Amino acid sequence: MKLHPKTRDLARRLLEYEAMAAESPEPMGSATLHVYERLRQSLGEFVGVAGFQSLATRALALARPDAPGLSAARVTADGSLQDLGEPEPQINDDKDQAGEYPGGPGGAILIARLLDLLLIFLGEALTLSLLRNACPGAAFDDGNSVNGRRT
Amino acid sequence: MSTKDKVAIRQLPTGVPGLDEIVGGGLPEYSFNIIAGEPGSGKTTLAHQFVFANATPERPALYFTVLGESAIKMLRYQQQYTFFDTSKLPGSIRFINLSQVVLENDLGAVLEQITREVEKVNPGVVVVDSFRTIVRKPQSDMDLQSFIQRLALFLASWQATTFLIGEYAEDELRDNPIFTVADGLVWLRQTAERNSIVRKLQVIKLRGQNSVPGLHTFRITDAGVQAFSRTFGLVGHLKDPPSHRRLSFGVPELDKMLGGGVREGDSVLVAGSSGTGKSVLATQFIAEGIRRGEPGIVAVFEERPQAYAERATSLGLDLETPQKDGKLTILYLRPLDLSVDETMHSILDAVQKIGAKRLVIDSLAGFEMALSPGFRADFRESLYRMIFALTGIGVTILSTVEVDESFTEFPFSTYSISFLTDDIIRLRYVSIDGQLRKIMVVIKMRGGNHAKDIREYEITSKGVVILGKRLTEYQGLISGIPVHSDRPDSTEEPSLDTAIEHKA
Repeated sequence: MKLHPKTRDLARRLLEYEAMAAESPEPMGSATLHVYERLRQSLGEFVGVAGFQSLATRALALARPDAPGLSAARVTADGSLQDLGEPEPQINDDKDQAGEYPGGPGGAILIARLLDLLLIFLGEALTLSLLRNACPGAAFDDGNSVNGRRT
Repeated sequence: MSTKDKVAIRQLPTGVPGLDEIVGGGLPEYSFNIIAGEPGSGKTTLAHQFVFANATPERPALYFTVLGESAIKMLRYQQQYTFFDTSKLPGSIRFINLSQVVLENDLGAVLEQITREVEKVNPGVVVVDSFRTIVRKPQSDMDLQSFIQRLALFLASWQATTFLIGEYAEDELRDNPIFTVADGLVWLRQTAERNSIVRKLQVIKLRGQNSVPGLHTFRITDAGVQAFSRTFGLVGHLKDPPSHRRLSFGVPELDKMLGGGVREGDSVLVAGSSGTGKSVLATQFIAEGIRRGEPGIVAVFEERPQAYAERATSLGLDLETPQKDGKLTILYLRPLDLSVDETMHSILDAVQKIGAKRLVIDSLAGFEMALSPGFRADFRESLYRMIFALTGIGVTILSTVEVDESFTEFPFSTYSISFLTDDIIRLRYVSIDGQLRKIMVVIKMRGGNHAKDIREYEITSKGVVILGKRLTEYQGLISGIPVHSDRPDSTEEPSLDTAIEHKA
């Protein structure tokens, strides 16, 4: 299943937002983990731990074919993400444009897959509504943004 | 205590069309309510409608989901309803999943989490869906009772209007403590009647105000739950003062037979076998009303509005223009699982929209067929309520009914509903001089004089036309097989039955 460009863009904005939120440079992948944690906390509240865990597991399964670096990653029983690993230099940038993501390509694809599932199940309006709640201040649906933040 | 000293209980809109009237104006603020029913009966949808109608950013709604339907799927499906306003999430409506705490902890921990969330958000509305799953784990009766009591007290103190949703069986009503604590109890039922599903709701209990008792039908559509009160939405409508005005049929000789026309607000039954012109007469009745500035409704069950209007055109009656002008509505009501209440709702909407004075139901047989089999059993009772309600607001109703032609009997209808009608006009075939001809007689006219004459009529390009004078040269006309007598034709004017008392 190919990711929709809009979903990629949404993931990119989230990761940019999180990268900018970090006061000091952090290792690659931490923006992904931060975004993932935000989503876990926010979505977990209404879908429940088990509900989020199952969504995340599915997202990981969908992301792996495009990001071999995620092979070691796993979603634990409480829905948290472990062993995300380092970004893979061999990623096909033309295919996934993953190199643009501040959180690293594998993690970025995972976030995009997770968002894609939300869009499939809940539709754009409700997904954006939930994301706004999870990441207040992030810009999702307009062009007036810099590094994922509302201007 | 005077009225001004009493506490005023604010009523919150339910967000469910028709339900506010059933519950007596709206749900009492800060009440603790149960929505009970079988899976698929519409409990969650009803709760969502309430939540979307009342949640605000200042007093949001907290919707606790438990082990039942997953929240993500619930939102996926619920957002298909037109009442679902995505912009209210999550600012005004917050969903919180309690599955983990329910699975891993006792009732005390569940109460603790609910308390924590309520204190954090200060909600105006709290829903627990499904409450049944919270209390399903084995526990003592006292633990359960204590939990319910504390939950009810806490939520009332925090000024939240609460709904607990649960799949309960009716035999639990007596013993389950939840029903004792609850201020309101709405029970949703759905039963299969042959190939139809019949949905009914009952407000079993509602403290502090009068709800309409009994079972009310409801339907789940794209707009969510829609309830149809047994009072047809006419609570508080004053009956128009009795009118002595006579309404013309548009058939002058028939008007004479009726002593000047049908009394306004009467229910008229036109009975006859197939082809005797019942629908033609009904069309003339409605067209004459429109001509006199009385808007009308035609509820058809056996043909489509376009065909009905075209048939009227063939009689020289224009039903197209008044439809465009908002003077006439032709309702086509043919789904096969209607309830009388739903039909009434459609008719009343149309009556109120155009200010209708005349209503034609063509025909009662078609009406009955359009009902779900479960409602057909109550057809007479439903018809009684409908006629009473409509004539009560001054609408004059003409219903057609097909009766089996018999040469040994003279039935008025197959429904034994003649007592429900004020006036009965009977049409029938007779065999005269080697021809199958038609006769008409006014059987009954409650509260007014009418002719006793049996008149021959024809259906022409101008509709029903009554011929000549009353038929005096035949005996046994109503048998359908009259015998010629030697008496000459009468030249008298139609005689009125002056013996009938005027019972206005």
